[in-house]
Amino acid sequence: MSMIDIKVAAVEQVTPLVKHFTFVKRDGSPFPAFSGGSHVVVSMNVGGRVHRNPYSLMGSPADTDAYHISVRKQEQSRGGSVFMHENVEVGTSLQITYPVNLFSLAKKAHKHILIAGGIGITPFMSQLIDLNRLNANFELHYAFRSPEHGAFADKLKAICSDKLHCYADSKGERLDLLALLSKQPLGTHVYVCGPNPMVVAVIETARNLGWPENHIHSEQFLSPGIGEPFKIQLAKSNIEVHVPAEMSMLEAIEAAGVEADYLCRGGVCGRCEVNVLESDGALLHHDHFLTDAEKAAGKKIMPCVSRARCDRLVLDL
Amino acid sequence: MERGYWIRSKPVYTSLLWHEKATSHLVVAQGQGGMAVLKLFQLMHPKQAITVLYTPYAEADYSKTLVKVVPEGLHILEAEQEVLAKLESVLQGMCMGMRLYIAGSEDFMWSVAKVANKFGIEDAGMMKELTGTLARPIYCVHCKATTHGVTTNIGECSGCGRMLFVRDHFSRQLGAYMGLMIDAESPGELPEIEEIYP
Ligand code: FES
Repeated sequence: MSMIDIKVAAVEQVTPLVKHFTFVKRDGSPFPAFSGGSHVVVSMNVGGRVHRNPYSLMGSPADTDAYHISVRKQEQSRGGSVFMHENVEVGTSLQITYPVNLFSLAKKAHKHILIAGGIGITPFMSQLIDLNRLNANFELHYAFRSPEHGAFADKLKAICSDKLHCYADSKGERLDLLALLSKQPLGTHVYVCGPNPMVVAVIETARNLGWPENHIHSEQFLSPGIGEPFKIQLAKSNIEVHVPAEMSMLEAIEAAGVEADYLCRGGVCGRCEVNVLESDGALLHHDHFLTDAEKAAGKKIMPCVSRARCDRLVLDL
Repeated sequence: MERGYWIRSKPVYTSLLWHEKATSHLVVAQGQGGMAVLKLFQLMHPKQAITVLYTPYAEADYSKTLVKVVPEGLHILEAEQEVLAKLESVLQGMCMGMRLYIAGSEDFMWSVAKVANKFGIEDAGMMKELTGTLARPIYCVHCKATTHGVTTNIGECSGCGRMLFVRDHFSRQLGAYMGLMIDAESPGELPEIEEIYP
């Protein structure tokens, strides 16, 4: 996958847990334009090991001089976000992929309801700019733990004025999904990005109110997670790869020097899908992409987030 | 038509079935489509609000039975134009969660779909059942006029008078099949015209 060489131009602590990074291209030329909701994958070298994490682009899609991302520090994670917080500073060089959009706005929508939980606000930041430019009918519902965790609330207020509705959990403010979604005009689309229970609640509420599936949009990149180590055989490359506990299958494959496809590295896009040629144990599917039937069939796996508990697992790679 | 031939743009119609989770139902039917509506109510009488717009067409008139079967919200209208006007006013007040069911000829269904599109209801949000005639709406790729109710493999364009070959390629945007001039190479030389969409 071709990469863009970037340099960190600014770092800002927005909340106790969230840092905002501004990237510029190392050769000083402008970035490619992107559409609201796009993400890039940032590659970082953490102690000799390459980590690649997806982050939403949050600046104005019209601004190609700089790209903006925000990173929430995940203490429980495998180190990518901690590295961004602790080791990346102004002047650091990194590589990113070209932007990809897996969470675009529905062009035919008459109204857009955006629902964000915590750091889930990031993909909406660029979409809001598109929505404002199109003079679209929208509402943003933004829920966070407490006011100090409401990253960008002020900025958002400036962008969306009365279209912004904030809910601080610490103040007992709750977003009533049923009330919100039960009286929307025809042609409304709903978008959600946030923690899993919130995403599930929005999808379920809309479905139960009879919303057609294609009016419901969600984005939730999963992190690869930590598990038991295991071994895989790559049939085409004819090598055996060891997948350590804190590395994903995809990372291990890449570390072994085998090129594998990916777009989201979060189990949603389907790009990394590989065929399972042989297995003698359980595939631990963690993705949002394969259907339940496909997961049960055990013929495919998404190596960006999934793992296995097998003695023998042969992949078509 | 060749064996194994399949064109992706050609719409697939099904039998109408109630959407279990809908918060209200809007059924729009024409002529023979009245039978599709009766079959719906044969299945069950949903508890959510129901609106039915019906217009008889050609020999098919199910008005009398519908009056007996549809519990409330039935509107019998005289012509397609009236259905479309009523539909417009009904849709104004509706919310997400309403599900739309359409039964009738292709011409009729796609006229209804066009009105629904204006309200942001997308193709996937409508259920359609083809009833009665197979007659097709044809869009002339030359003059851009739409000719309705074409029952033959080759039809005359109501706009420019060209003889059009009626294709299976369908545009959801236009709600019509594409028609291409058939005798462009050798004017006046036409294959046999047959009725294949009775
Ligand atoms: S890279 Fe997108 S699902 Fe694996």
